Amino acid sequence: MPLTPEEVEEIRKILGREPTTEELAMFEAQWSEHCSYKSSRLLLKLLPTHGKNVLVGPGRDAPAVEVFPGVAVVFKIESHNHPSAVEPYNGAATGIGGIVRDILTLGAKPIALLDMLYMGNPKDPRARWLVKGIVKGISDYGNRIGVPTVAGDTWFDNSFNTQPLVNVACVGVVSTERLIRGTPRPGDVIVIAGNPTGRDGLLGSSFASKPLGEDPSQEIGAVQVADPLMEKLLIDSIQELASLGLVEYVKDLGGGGLTTAVVETAADFGLGAELFLDRLHLRTELTPLEILVSESQERMMLVIQKDKLERALEILRKYDVPYSILGVFDGSGLIKAYHSGRKVAEVPARELARPRTILRASKPPADRTVLTAPIRDLPLPPLHEALKTLISSPNIACKRWIYEQYDHEVGARTVVKPGYGDAAVLRISPEDVRGIAVKGDANPRYTSIDPFRGAANSVAECYRNLVAVGSTPIAFVDEPNAGNPEKPEHFWYFEMMVKGIGWMAEELGVPVVGGKVSFYNEDHAGRQVKPTATIVGVGALEDVGRTTTMGLKYVGSPLILVGTTFPELGASEYLAVVHGIEAGEVPTPRPSLELRHAEYVLELVKEGIAVSVHDVSLGGLAIALAEMSILGDVGVDVDIEAVACRGCLRVDEVLFSETQARYLLEISPDKLEDALKIASSKNIAVSVIGVTTSRKALRVRSGGNPILEVPLDTLKSLYEGSLEELLR
Amino acid sequence: MRSRWGCLPRIAVIKFPGTNCDEDVASALREVDPGLEVRIVWYKEFRLWDGWDAVILPGGFSYGDWLRAGAIAARSVVVEELKDSASKGVPVLGICNGFQMLVEAGLLRGAFLPNEHGRFVCRWVKLRVEGARGPWLSSIEDGEELDMPVAHGEGRFYIDEEGYAKIVGKVPIVRYAPGYNPNGSLYDIAGIGNHDGNVLGIMPHPERAVSRVLTPRGFRPGGTAIFRSIAMSLRRGW
Repeated sequence: MPLTPEEVEEIRKILGREPTTEELAMFEAQWSEHCSYKSSRLLLKLLPTHGKNVLVGPGRDAPAVEVFPGVAVVFKIESHNHPSAVEPYNGAATGIGGIVRDILTLGAKPIALLDMLYMGNPKDPRARWLVKGIVKGISDYGNRIGVPTVAGDTWFDNSFNTQPLVNVACVGVVSTERLIRGTPRPGDVIVIAGNPTGRDGLLGSSFASKPLGEDPSQEIGAVQVADPLMEKLLIDSIQELASLGLVEYVKDLGGGGLTTAVVETAADFGLGAELFLDRLHLRTELTPLEILVSESQERMMLVIQKDKLERALEILRKYDVPYSILGVFDGSGLIKAYHSGRKVAEVPARELARPRTILRASKPPADRTVLTAPIRDLPLPPLHEALKTLISSPNIACKRWIYEQYDHEVGARTVVKPGYGDAAVLRISPEDVRGIAVKGDANPRYTSIDPFRGAANSVAECYRNLVAVGSTPIAFVDEPNAGNPEKPEHFWYFEMMVKGIGWMAEELGVPVVGGKVSFYNEDHAGRQVKPTATIVGVGALEDVGRTTTMGLKYVGSPLILVGTTFPELGASEYLAVVHGIEAGEVPTPRPSLELRHAEYVLELVKEGIAVSVHDVSLGGLAIALAEMSILGDVGVDVDIEAVACRGCLRVDEVLFSETQARYLLEISPDKLEDALKIASSKNIAVSVIGVTTSRKALRVRSGGNPILEVPLDTLKSLYEGSLEELLR
Repeated sequence: MRSRWGCLPRIAVIKFPGTNCDEDVASALREVDPGLEVRIVWYKEFRLWDGWDAVILPGGFSYGDWLRAGAIAARSVVVEELKDSASKGVPVLGICNGFQMLVEAGLLRGAFLPNEHGRFVCRWVKLRVEGARGPWLSSIEDGEELDMPVAHGEGRFYIDEEGYAKIVGKVPIVRYAPGYNPNGSLYDIAGIGNHDGNVLGIMPHPERAVSRVLTPRGFRPGGTAIFRSIAMSLRRGW
C-alpha cells in the first residue's frame, strides 16, 4: 500500500523537512500493514501471551517456550498468501524460507515444518495449478533444507480459487542456555550474510498489504525467488555461530528487507545505526533506494561484537556464505544510510519503526450468512451414500498425495508421521525419549459463518489434536487471515476472530505466544476469501514411546465416545457436501468440557488404557469411526442408541454432528472397567458405543436394527484415492 | 589419535553444501554401536590419510542438485580421492544423494532418472537383499527383508540390458519387494554394490530405520542390519 497523503504529512513532521526518496521508500516498507501491524496491533493485545513456560513472547522474530526444563521450543507461523496467488511455486517456497529464518534468529535448530493450505476447488483449472505449484514449492524447498514437513491442514473451497491462503509454520529446538537473547550495543557490527541482494521482491510487504489486481500475473515483480541451498548454508553456519557464542543478535531480512531488520532492532534497543550501503554484496547494480527495500531472500542480519568479528567471519567463509560488513550500531537513535559518500537517509529509528496505530471501523456485514438453517426439514439421505460422499470429500480424504511429496522423515525425529495420528510427534533428539507434538488447524467455513465461534473452535480443535496423541498442550501461535481492514465489513471478521482466539486460549490456559496477521485477502472484485483463523499448537510428551495414533489396533476392543453429542449440524461438512448448504449455527465452543475431557484422555493414554485416540471433528462421529477403522484395517460394530446424545431427533445428527470437546477411543480389551471407573470419578460423560471386529466393515446399528454397513475396502479406496484423483 | 592404531573403528560422514542427512547417519551409527568413532567431516576438510576406516556419503541435495542429482559433488576432489581408496578396498556407502554421487562418479553402474510419476516421494518400503557380501551387508542373509523409508525425487534407477547382465548375480543388489517400487526403478533396483561389495549405494535411508520408535506399524527397523554389519566388519574383517 503506498503511503497516504496524511502519512506523508506525518513523515514531514517527524523529519522537520522534505523526506528524500530513499526515506519515503523506507517509510512505505516499514509502515506497510505487513511490517507494522498498524491496523491489528490494538486488537492483538487481547491475546493471552504470558505463561510460566514463555521464555520469549511476541515482539522478536519468533517466540520461545520452555517445554521441558532446559529445553526450549521456538515456533512461529507466517502467511505467504499474496505471493502464492501470483507465483505459487516461488511464493510458497519463499514462505518456508522466511519462517525458517525466523526460527534461526533465536539460535534454534529447525526440526519441523507445517503447512496449512486453504486452496481453491481442485476442479477449477487455475486453482489446480495453484495447488500443484504451492505443494511443489513447499516440497522442493523444505526437502532441500533438510527440515521435515510433518503436519498441517488442508481445505478446498471455491472462495480460494484465485487467492489461496498459504500459512506455514516452523518449529525449532534449542537448549535454554543457547537461546540467542543478547542485546545489541553501540559499536556492535552489522553483518549481512547470505544471498547477494537483487531487485526481486522490491516492496513485497507493501504488495502484501493491498488487494490483488485483476490479473495477478502482473505483480510478478513483487514475488521473490527461492534459493534453498543458501538457506541450508545459513542454517548450518548460524547453528555453529550460536553454539560458539559468537553472535549477539540475529534478525531475518524478511518483509521490508534491510530497512525493517535494522530499524526494528535499533528501535527495540534504543539504538541508532550507520549503514554504508555500497558495502553490501549485490547481484546486480542497485540504487540506494533499491538496496534499502529489496526483499531478496536468504539474507540475515548478524549483530557481532567487534572482538568476535574475525572468528565469526571465518565460520561464514567455511560454509561459503557470502557476507558484507554493512555498518555499526550507535547510541544516536538515528538510522543514517550512506551511499558513495553521500548521506541518503537520516531517520529516527523509533518513529520509523512504529507508525501510529489505526483504529479501524468494524461492523458485521448486513448480508451475513444466516445463523439458522432449516436442518430438520431436510430429507434424510441414504446413510451409506452420505458416508461415502463425506469420506471422499477433499477436506476429509487422505492427504497422502500432498504429504508424500514432503520429506517428513529427515532429521530422524518423526515418531508419529503424517496420516497416522491427529498431530505429528517428534522426539527432541535421538538420545531423548521426550518429545513434542505439533499441529495446525482452521475451519474456514466456521469462521466465515461465525468468526468468533469459528476461531474459538480452531483453537479447541488444535488443543484436542495435541491431546489425542498424548501430549500436554503448551502454547499456540495464530494467523488470522482476513479481508481488507479498510472495509468495516471485512475488519469485523478479523476483530471477531482475534476475540474468539483470545477467549478460547485464555479459557484453556494456553498462551498465544506469537503469530502473524494477513489482510487484504480479497479478489479483484473486492470479495474477501473465507476469513480463516489458523492456529498452530505445540504439546509436550514425556515419552514418545507412549504416544497414541488413531488407527485401531486390536479386534474385540471396546470403543468409547468421550463427551455428549448435541444436534449441531450447522456449518458442518455433512451439510455442505451432502446437502450443499453452508449455513447454520456453528457448534458451540465448550472450553470447560475441553479441559476436563483432555485431562481424562491424557490419563487413559498414560495408564495404557486407551490404545487409539481420535478427536471427533469434521464429519462427526461417523467419519471418526471410518478413519480409525481404515487406518487400522480393523472393522467396527457400533450401536447409535448407546451414544449419549442430547436433543438429537435424527440419526444424521448423531452420526455427523460436529459437537466440540469429543474424542473417540479404542480401549485396551481388558481395561474397559478402568476407563469407566475413572470417567465416573471425574464425572465425565462417556458412552460405550461398540466394539472392533474382525469382519472388515463399518457397521452401525440402532439397537438391533442395522442402519449402515460399508465394507472397509470401499471406504479405504475412497479415502485414499479421492484427493489423488482430483489432483492427478 | 589412538584409533589410528586400531582401537576404535573410525567412520567419516562427509558433508557437502546441501547435505542434510549427516547428523542422522552419525547418530544412527552411534545408536547401533556406541563403540564406533563417527565424525561428520566438512568436504573441504576431508583427508583420506586421516586414517578413516570407512566413509559414508549421506543424503541431501548436494549443491542444491543443480545440473543432475549428485553431479557436482561427484566431480569434487573428495570423491576423486574416494575412487582411489575404494579401489583399494576401503568401505564406502552412498545413501540417496550419496548413491547418486557414486553413480555419477562411475564407482557404481547405472543412472538415475526423475521418479516415474514426476513427484518427490517419501514413504516406507520393504527391500530384499541378494548376493549379500562386503562390509556393509556382512550380517545380512541372502533374501533377507529390510524395511526403511525412501525420500527422493530422482530415484528411478536405470541400467541398460547389457549393463544389467554384467551386474546380476555378480554384485550385491538390493531390490524393492514386490508392490513397493516407489519410483519406477528398472528391475526394482533400490541399491547395488561393486564387485567386492566394499562400495555400496542405496536409495532408501537406513539411518531413518534404526530406532524402533521411528518405525511405523507393519514395518521393522531395517537400517540396523547395515550399520551393525559395518561395525562388525571393521572389527573382524569381512
